[in-house]
Amino acid sequence: MPTTKTSGLNRYTTFHGYDEMYTQQGNLKPYWQKLLDSFDRLGVDGLIGRQKDIDWLLSENGVTYNVYNDPKGMNRPWNLNIVPFLLHKDEWETVEKGLKQRAELLDLILKDIYGDRMLIKNGIVPPEIIYGHRGFLRQCSGIEYTMEKYLSVYAADLARGTDGRLWVVNDRTEAPSGMGYTLENRSTTSRILPEMYAKMNVTRLSGFFQDLNRMLVEASPIKKENPHIVILTPGSHNETYFEHAYLSSFLGYPLVQGNDLVVRDGFLWMKSLNGLKQIDVVLRRVDDAFSDPLELREDSHLGVAGLLDVVRRKNVSVINPVGSGVMENPGLLPFMPSIAQYFLGQDLILPQIASWWCGQEKEKKYVLENLSRLVIKRIDRTNRESIHFGEFLDSGELDNLKQKIIQRPYRFVAQERISFSTAPNLVKDALEPRNLVTRAFCIASGSDYQVMPGGLVRVAPDRKTIRVSNHRGGTSKDFWILEDGPVNEDKVRSWQKRSTNAVSGLDDLPSLTAENLYWAGRYVGRTLINARFIRMVMRQLSMVQNRNETPDSEKLRTLLRAVTHLTGTYPGFAKKAKKGPQAMENPYQEMLSVIKDPKKVGSLAHTIGMFSNSYYSIRNLWSADMWRVFEDIQQLWKSFQEEEQPSMTRILRVLNKLITRLIAFMGLIEESIMIQQGLLLYFIGLQLEQSMLTITKCRSLLTIKYDAHTEYDLLEYLLISHESLNIYRYSYRSYIQLENVLNLVVLDLEYPRSLAYMLNRLQKDIARLPQSKHDNHLNSYQKFVFEAFSKLRLAEATSLAKTGTEEDFTREALETLLGQLSELLYQTSQSITSSYFNHTDRQNQLFTQFFPI
Amino acid sequence: MHFNVTHTTEYTYDAPVSYGHNIATLRPRKAMGQELLDYHIIISPEPSEITERIDFFGNFITRFSLQTEHKSLKVTTKSHIKRDYAQFQDSFFSGACKSITMNEALIALQSMELEILEAKQYILESIFVKKMDAGISEYAQKSFQGNRSVFDAAFELMQRIYTDFDFVPGFTSISTPIHEVMEQKKGVCQDFAQIAIACIRSVGLPAKYISGYIETLPPPGEEKLVGADASHAWFSIFIPGFGWVDFDPTNNQIPKDQHIVVGWGRDYYDVPPLKGVVYGSGQSKLKVAVDIVRIA
Repeated sequence: MPTTKTSGLNRYTTFHGYDEMYTQQGNLKPYWQKLLDSFDRLGVDGLIGRQKDIDWLLSENGVTYNVYNDPKGMNRPWNLNIVPFLLHKDEWETVEKGLKQRAELLDLILKDIYGDRMLIKNGIVPPEIIYGHRGFLRQCSGIEYTMEKYLSVYAADLARGTDGRLWVVNDRTEAPSGMGYTLENRSTTSRILPEMYAKMNVTRLSGFFQDLNRMLVEASPIKKENPHIVILTPGSHNETYFEHAYLSSFLGYPLVQGNDLVVRDGFLWMKSLNGLKQIDVVLRRVDDAFSDPLELREDSHLGVAGLLDVVRRKNVSVINPVGSGVMENPGLLPFMPSIAQYFLGQDLILPQIASWWCGQEKEKKYVLENLSRLVIKRIDRTNRESIHFGEFLDSGELDNLKQKIIQRPYRFVAQERISFSTAPNLVKDALEPRNLVTRAFCIASGSDYQVMPGGLVRVAPDRKTIRVSNHRGGTSKDFWILEDGPVNEDKVRSWQKRSTNAVSGLDDLPSLTAENLYWAGRYVGRTLINARFIRMVMRQLSMVQNRNETPDSEKLRTLLRAVTHLTGTYPGFAKKAKKGPQAMENPYQEMLSVIKDPKKVGSLAHTIGMFSNSYYSIRNLWSADMWRVFEDIQQLWKSFQEEEQPSMTRILRVLNKLITRLIAFMGLIEESIMIQQGLLLYFIGLQLEQSMLTITKCRSLLTIKYDAHTEYDLLEYLLISHESLNIYRYSYRSYIQLENVLNLVVLDLEYPRSLAYMLNRLQKDIARLPQSKHDNHLNSYQKFVFEAFSKLRLAEATSLAKTGTEEDFTREALETLLGQLSELLYQTSQSITSSYFNHTDRQNQLFTQFFPI
Repeated sequence: MHFNVTHTTEYTYDAPVSYGHNIATLRPRKAMGQELLDYHIIISPEPSEITERIDFFGNFITRFSLQTEHKSLKVTTKSHIKRDYAQFQDSFFSGACKSITMNEALIALQSMELEILEAKQYILESIFVKKMDAGISEYAQKSFQGNRSVFDAAFELMQRIYTDFDFVPGFTSISTPIHEVMEQKKGVCQDFAQIAIACIRSVGLPAKYISGYIETLPPPGEEKLVGADASHAWFSIFIPGFGWVDFDPTNNQIPKDQHIVVGWGRDYYDVPPLKGVVYGSGQSKLKVAVDIVRIA
């Protein structure tokens, strides 16, 4: 049990047989020594401080991953341990050769099993291993690609065995994840440990991402200088969505969902704001079976109907090919040596775990006899849940498993249980050994493969855990390949040539992104206006009202009804509830639910939820500051939601904070996203929402005439909730009068919060949309806004303020105008939606014919 | 024997469909004792593009897209088929076929011959024939025994399904799992074919699903009604050393010339006559008619 001598930081003892820091003779490797020496110079506190910096930086950059089926699992912070994993270049060169060989082999296997299937015909691979694997998609048989290598991206999980060599533990071929996290880990550690990063001659990653980009460009079936490339994501709930968004903005290719794409005339198209745009290459993160609901899983809404046929006709390249999931197949392991001989006449360079495929009699017998010492996997399910560790099973479970193996032996593979090496991890204030697994990446490059000099290292959460996975709350590490001399510095990132590859303006904006931005604008506007109005109402309630009584004054009742109209939480205060207590009899409870109940459609909590969803799905557009403020809002709201009966002061304080943060957030949006990136859509949504709610507010508070006193108070409330009381006093220096209020809030062309100003701006903004016309004829949404604006311009405050006769209570002219405006804006929204966000057509499977006889 | 087969599938939608992609397995394939002499497909509205390919199993797959708004889709195929399968009937009852026992068959399946390797994939579970429970294998083992002839066992299995199961249209749907059909002992031709397939696979032998048509003959003295014929399904078992033999458990017979093969696969999933993804908001209604006319 070796212990390091260096300092008090290192009471480091290794429990498992093998630790990365030591040679097999038990000596500390010189490069680890160098790292530990630098850690010593930092001291314990220094090191802990740096770890905190890492945590802070990652949360600043919003680096997260999601865990499925876990309500608390969304957007978990990504963990990166400060201690990198080190490997000397000499050792890595062998591994690199082995990885290239394996990538090459898997590529040949992939071509063969979807081609002539000579491996099966020649008896090299038993048919069950392919035909019995659910990832073998018969629909893909015979598909050919124009690229030299079909397997464009390959990832291997590596771990060091007791023989001191790095072993292949898993092959990842379907849609390997981790490259983005690797890049993020590197950019974080290189910033937090600059002195060590510089001194230790760490090989740079940038060349590899250059290769990735080149591979994507060259994958285009028709050679073009600037092929259209998209990254297809299952959406913001996917576990590695952060990475999809990250790669999208790093590589400069649009991030799309299945819904953004459509198949027509034998080609694949992206629905952009300005119509359809042909796509040449898809880097896909949607699983094989989900990528085409026409030919593959019918229930998938993540893919594109007809995609496979476009691929078949060589009109688009999908990377990796649909169907490559069949290679994530431990059943192949025992046959890999013969496959290597068959294709290359070579031995495998990288060792693999000893594996027994139960489809063979002798092997099955061995497995059944030694079950409790083995690890059992299904050939086509490599997720945690389907892996059985014989040693942890009781006799009943073992029998159960035996039965399963006997029933369908071809489906199971048993592997030797081996212990892998450990490496130091900073845990609280000490270095502790942890098991680790490294994911290495290969990219096709012409007739060869390029290997990333580094990778994603995942670390077990505690000393006992052998299985390593992000799901289980483990952490990650940066992976440094060390050279003896100084390394080539990162070249300037100019290779990205953003000018040519980047999304070239609004026309190319995927319509789903556009829609999300539009709704982001609408929800942020709705949250802000409603929060302000509710804050004002709560203040009034707190001043005059015992919590649970029907308000005695008309003005309060009017305010409460306005809350219901504004939020749309009917029946609320506005209508009689069909059953149960009336809201008006217990206004505090109703207000509380309008604020806090996330299930109540229209409530503040609900609106914030919608706002968050729309922001998550466009997070590739965010800046770091936006992320931080957004997190602040989430935190604030989350802790508030947990409170049972918050006091009035507490509610007001939360609303104040919410409003301030929203305003900060809105300011950041405007300066972080460019109009061409879609900010225009955000503005359109925001202006439209604010206009609509201003109309609703005025309709609820101003169209009925009350006694002078009530009327005065209502006008004042309106101005307060509109944040316009000071402006009013400044502009009119007078007693609050309806005419003046109408002039300021509704008709003023110069005042940014007035309806006329907002509609004027809306008119200008929508004119910039790709389908807007600039000749003599206006587009339909342009007509609606033009009509609304004209009506406002033709109106006059004095006539709007009048009732029909002195005895009438309704201000007919005002009510009519506001009613018409409301309808026109609703139509505007409908028209914009149908012109640009055509996702309304639901994807349906045709009824399948069932034979009558 | 020559037949003209007209197969019409019509979908009507209650709301317009803006576009759709479809896949049809309707062109009859070449099969033992069967030849396709002429074939057309007529699609209305006119598809904006249409392609044909041969799939993994050797079936013809037609793919077409409709890109103009439409409220109904009608696909009609007309096939002229020459059927000469009855001539093989005697060979099934010959010693070459009948003498092979299950034990011999299971040993033969270990061989590395190409035909065997190809056939072995039909032992594995498939999309609709999986999660076989004890009920299935118990039912199978009553007929399939080690030193019994595979052909005799399959013949008996067909007879037993015909006797034990009630033909009840509408009782099952394509998503009804086979163990439920097994429990209820009710269903239609697809169910019976898939039950048989499940049974055969449960004893370790290859079986496949055949999709096609059957000519129905009117009761003596009556005229045949147009559209009275139908799509049909049956199964085929692989007897190593002999080959594939078809059985129709719905009609308790070994197909002769009135059975017309369209395609085959592991189960219904591999050969649905028509499927598709449409974009629209409404519901669809389906009407199918098959008409088989003998030509002298």
